[in-house]
Amino acid sequence: MVEDSKGDNLEFKWGKKKGFGGKKKEVTFYESFTYDGVDYTLYDSVYLYKDDEPEPFIGKLIKIWENGDKSRKVKILWFFRPCEILNFLEGYETLDNELFMACGEGLGLSNINHLEAIAGKCNVVCFSKDGRNPHPLDEELQNADFVCYCFFDVGRHKILDKTDDKIAGIEVKNIFNNLDSQKLGGLLRLDLDGKDVSAKVTTNNEAVALSSEKNNQLLIDKLDGKRYDTGDSKPSFGEKCTSSLGLKDANKSNDGLNSISRDKTLPLAKEKENGVCKALAKQKSSTKLSHSSRDGLEMTGNSKTGGNAFCLAKIDSEDTVGVPDRQINKRLVEGKASEKEKYGVSSANKTNDVHNRRNYDNAKISNTRPNVSMDNTFLKSKIDLEKGGRDIVGVPDRHFNKQLMEGKASEKEKYGVSNAMITNDVQNRRKHDNDVKEVPSKKLKTDTMSTKHSADKFRKESSTASPNVEHRLDYRVMEVTQRPDIDRSKWFKPMPWEERMRNAHEQGKLVLLENLDPSLTSSEVQDIIWLGFKESCTVMVIQKTAESSPHSGQAFVIFKRKEAAESVIRKLEEGCFLMSNGRPLVGSFGLPCFPEKKPIFYGHHVNDHLRLQTQREMKDAVSTSHCSQPNNIEYDMAVEWCLLQERADKSWRRLYQRQGEELRKLKAKLNVKI
Amino acid sequence: MEPSAEEYAAFEEKVKRTVYFDNLSPQVTESVIRTALDQFTAVKNVKFIPNYLGPSNLPQCALVELDSAKKVKEVRAMIGQYPFMMSGMPRPVRARPAVAEMFDDRPVKPKRKMKCCWLEKNDPDFEVARELKNLTRKHAAEIAFMHKVHLKEEEKLAAQQAETLKVHYKKFKLIEGIMTDRTALTLARKYNLAVADE
Repeated sequence: MVEDSKGDNLEFKWGKKKGFGGKKKEVTFYESFTYDGVDYTLYDSVYLYKDDEPEPFIGKLIKIWENGDKSRKVKILWFFRPCEILNFLEGYETLDNELFMACGEGLGLSNINHLEAIAGKCNVVCFSKDGRNPHPLDEELQNADFVCYCFFDVGRHKILDKTDDKIAGIEVKNIFNNLDSQKLGGLLRLDLDGKDVSAKVTTNNEAVALSSEKNNQLLIDKLDGKRYDTGDSKPSFGEKCTSSLGLKDANKSNDGLNSISRDKTLPLAKEKENGVCKALAKQKSSTKLSHSSRDGLEMTGNSKTGGNAFCLAKIDSEDTVGVPDRQINKRLVEGKASEKEKYGVSSANKTNDVHNRRNYDNAKISNTRPNVSMDNTFLKSKIDLEKGGRDIVGVPDRHFNKQLMEGKASEKEKYGVSNAMITNDVQNRRKHDNDVKEVPSKKLKTDTMSTKHSADKFRKESSTASPNVEHRLDYRVMEVTQRPDIDRSKWFKPMPWEERMRNAHEQGKLVLLENLDPSLTSSEVQDIIWLGFKESCTVMVIQKTAESSPHSGQAFVIFKRKEAAESVIRKLEEGCFLMSNGRPLVGSFGLPCFPEKKPIFYGHHVNDHLRLQTQREMKDAVSTSHCSQPNNIEYDMAVEWCLLQERADKSWRRLYQRQGEELRKLKAKLNVKI
Repeated sequence: MEPSAEEYAAFEEKVKRTVYFDNLSPQVTESVIRTALDQFTAVKNVKFIPNYLGPSNLPQCALVELDSAKKVKEVRAMIGQYPFMMSGMPRPVRARPAVAEMFDDRPVKPKRKMKCCWLEKNDPDFEVARELKNLTRKHAAEIAFMHKVHLKEEEKLAAQQAETLKVHYKKFKLIEGIMTDRTALTLARKYNLAVADE
């Protein structure tokens, strides 16, 4: 856990070996590894980031190995987001967080990636009705970042609810919710953690020493291996703070949290918290942290106030742990300036306050850990602390140690994890000189990433919410830039546009936009839609012909959902979305025209009597194309057509000229020129 | 995705090499176009412009990429001079130079900045924009109507020509008839006319 200030060397450690392979046995296969403080085991679901992709890919680790040249690789079986296989859903209603597991044979099933591409763990719960799938518990569902009901056959492009015994050579039982292996993973992790502890503690101490601060840390180890480290102390922030779901919940409930940054994720770790340092420090104001990670960042910045500024939901030293199935560790520490605290929680880190001279008992910590991790079922616990309390409140089924040191009234701290309330005495004179700077750069990086990520999430949410929640329209002039999320369904050849349009039309997702600048391309229109409505969509600009209007370009737009299409049309109807050159966008439900089976075409005559004969001749003829010579009836007729064409041309020209005139007059009245 | 100047320049070159055909019968396929233009030049690429907006019985349009801009000129001159029949008579096809907006795969114009904004209701522009929207709709309706009118005219001309053809056919049939059953010869002899013997 030594942080590299450059941030390049993320912690990495191999776990259990599985075997060797390759011609010269130079390839080593593993079952688990630790990367960036997170333990990964085979068949875990993980996020993978790609630089230019706003949203991470999600996949399952199905093979982990190290090559002879020390390059670390993982084989990933992919999950698909519904938006990636939009064209093949065929009316299948997807949930917001639904994923499809790849199966079958073909492109997009699995890939080999650099291990370093892994960005965090993801909790995907499989709900397949397949008998081989252990049925997930309700609570797992609640904690799941994503759910998976069906498979997507990458070869046949079909959604399936059953699959063969093997996917990509892996037994499906490994791929389904793998309860046993989870436990195994947990234990393994413990071992690993154990090794780490001492190192960690050391680091912590150092850090503490550096920052002459008090740290109170709460470490919470979740049974499932999540650790939460709540502490008001800065050093602990940067270095190891774990955020757990519980914490997240806690945030929502507006309880005061100091800072939680997560450094370890458990096997089931939620993606949202992956790699996220959450620093929730509530300053006296009880700010709602809806987006914990983002806020967390700010908080870290603000965390100067650190432990002082915790909102105490309860000032009396009572802590309620309100997150049901989470274990919550609470620590209340009251004491003098010379406080001593011992926090032994699973991966327990102890923070030493330099001033306070806290003692950390490493051994104790390491002992406690296993217990904690074993015990899943911590429910709410209440801990009453008397102010000035001098007791150690031990809740039996908790395996954590609490120590309250009596002390002077000058400082009182209570650290509650989860709903944790931390009471600070006003008289508390701690100084927290946490600077963001002190946070190791690596973490910073993670922070940024997580923020970005959560921002994405947010966006996603907001777009989902749009049908119900009216967007606040932004009235500022916006410059069209490329929208962040480009549909990533490039793995499969798209269906012919015509078919997609037909489907979309039947499902009410097709919108016709008018009054676009005719020179806009489809991707630009997509960007505009994104800018104006925060909806992603597929656009097909209508190609110009000789007869189409030079003033107004049209485009067919396929939205992902019917509601999105409806809301866009409504907004365009009620409001005015003005684009460059004074063009307000016009939208309506598209009524596409599909080619008929037997299109009528005027002007080519076939003599009925000659038809039989002609057909035979036509078959033999190489080409019926020719220039007409001015000595036959065909030429005369052709000239009549030419005349008609010329007249039509002229009428178009005059029509467009008049329309242009009208538009110009009206546009002159516009004040804003954009 | 980054619009690059070179890419766009290459595209513009392609536009110059391309000729746009309309008034094509629905029976015209890529191979028909290729063979038809064989006599003038080599055809690099043929792309039909789909008609998504209707009316559905509009003639087809196609973009045909040729070797060079010079060939485009030649083809256009030829087809402009004589009515050019493709896969049917007597309605000729028309050739024009292609423009960038006709291509569906055109790259984004580099360095163009689009701006847009929502107008507030109390903005004086709001009303104007509203009128503009209505005008746009009106124009679209006008265009649709114009298409209809033109189709009707085409139908009328086609019907009229069909009638003419039928009459011509009847006439030729009649002539053929009297020639084959020797009525013409008999009559010629009767009136002392010289009729060329077949």
